[in-house]
Amino acid sequence: MSSITPTQLFAQQAAAPPATINKPTGDAGSFKDFLLDSIRDVNSMQQQADQAVETMMTGGEADPAEVLTAVQKADLAFRLMMQMRNKMMQVYQEVRDIRV
Amino acid sequence: MFTALDVSTSGLVAQRTRLNAISSNLANISTTRNEAGEAVPYTPRFVVFKTDEETTTTGGGQGVRVDSIEYASVEPNMKYEPGHPDANADGYVAYPNIDMTTEFVDALGATRAYEANIGVIEITKDMGQRTLQILA
Amino acid sequence: MLSNMFDSSPLGALEQVVSFTQARHGVLAGNIANSDTPGYKSRDLSVDTFQARLKDAIAARHEAATSPSYEINARLAGKPTGTGSENWQQVREATGDILFHDNHDVSLETQVTEIAKNQVQHNLALTIMNAQFRLLRTAVTERV
Repeated sequence: MSSITPTQLFAQQAAAPPATINKPTGDAGSFKDFLLDSIRDVNSMQQQADQAVETMMTGGEADPAEVLTAVQKADLAFRLMMQMRNKMMQVYQEVRDIRV
Repeated sequence: MFTALDVSTSGLVAQRTRLNAISSNLANISTTRNEAGEAVPYTPRFVVFKTDEETTTTGGGQGVRVDSIEYASVEPNMKYEPGHPDANADGYVAYPNIDMTTEFVDALGATRAYEANIGVIEITKDMGQRTLQILA
Repeated sequence: MLSNMFDSSPLGALEQVVSFTQARHGVLAGNIANSDTPGYKSRDLSVDTFQARLKDAIAARHEAATSPSYEINARLAGKPTGTGSENWQQVREATGDILFHDNHDVSLETQVTEIAKNQVQHNLALTIMNAQFRLLRTAVTERV
């Protein structure tokens, strides 16, 4: 049973809406790639921060300031990505509400 | 982590030992007999410190520990007190050669050093607390 | 199950650190209170034992996340199972492991410093724990 991180959950969510829109093919995939890359980036940042926390808590060589900064960076990156997703959903909804 | 606290604590322990020796010297300023009751005056003692290579910080800071307690090599203070039970044939009594002024100045130094270490401990704790504010 | 969402973060480990530092604070406070008690032996909880067990439990958590058969094998071997609160059983037991110092030679300064270090560790774990919960809440509410 594998556990799910918030970013992985989000990755599934974020990947879903673009698939439902009938996009014209072309360079439309690039934004999706960018988004997925940033999700992977945020996920690995979080995993590194978690590992640093675990090292520090088990008495390993870790500087508290570095560890806390890593945690805060991962936190901010996640929030930024969340905001991007929220904006994207908003745009999607606005486009969906356009009456043809 | 937080080895700076260990270094400061080693300073506290060392300075307290030094202050104990000074108290002992002042308390025994008129002691003319040793613990066996013989007429041997009290010898003032000094605490000798050395850097402790076991207590170190990651930055290379070193703690301190008491290396030994040494006896002062001074002649006793001879006072003419005929009739004193510990007086010698000439009527002189051997008193410990302890200079009260020196001891008090030394005690003040030890107290200031103790306070300085307490100050550093407070700063270390404050830094730790402020590090937490990265996440706040 | 939904409770799995906590298995992927260091929350479980942090919780153990907080409860251990709280238990150790009580023990060290007892030492200070008894600093003038004749015949009292100062006591402590073994930080090394705790950290070693915590390390094992964290490793088990990572193992269990990647290999599905890990839990059953670990359970048979009597090792940390890697999931749920059961994983931290041996870590929790470290709080019952009281050490006694051989002689009454632990200075008051050393005791106070140990308490201060313990406090820093406690606050550190608690702060990171708060941040983790805040992050999960952000993900759940979708609000930044």
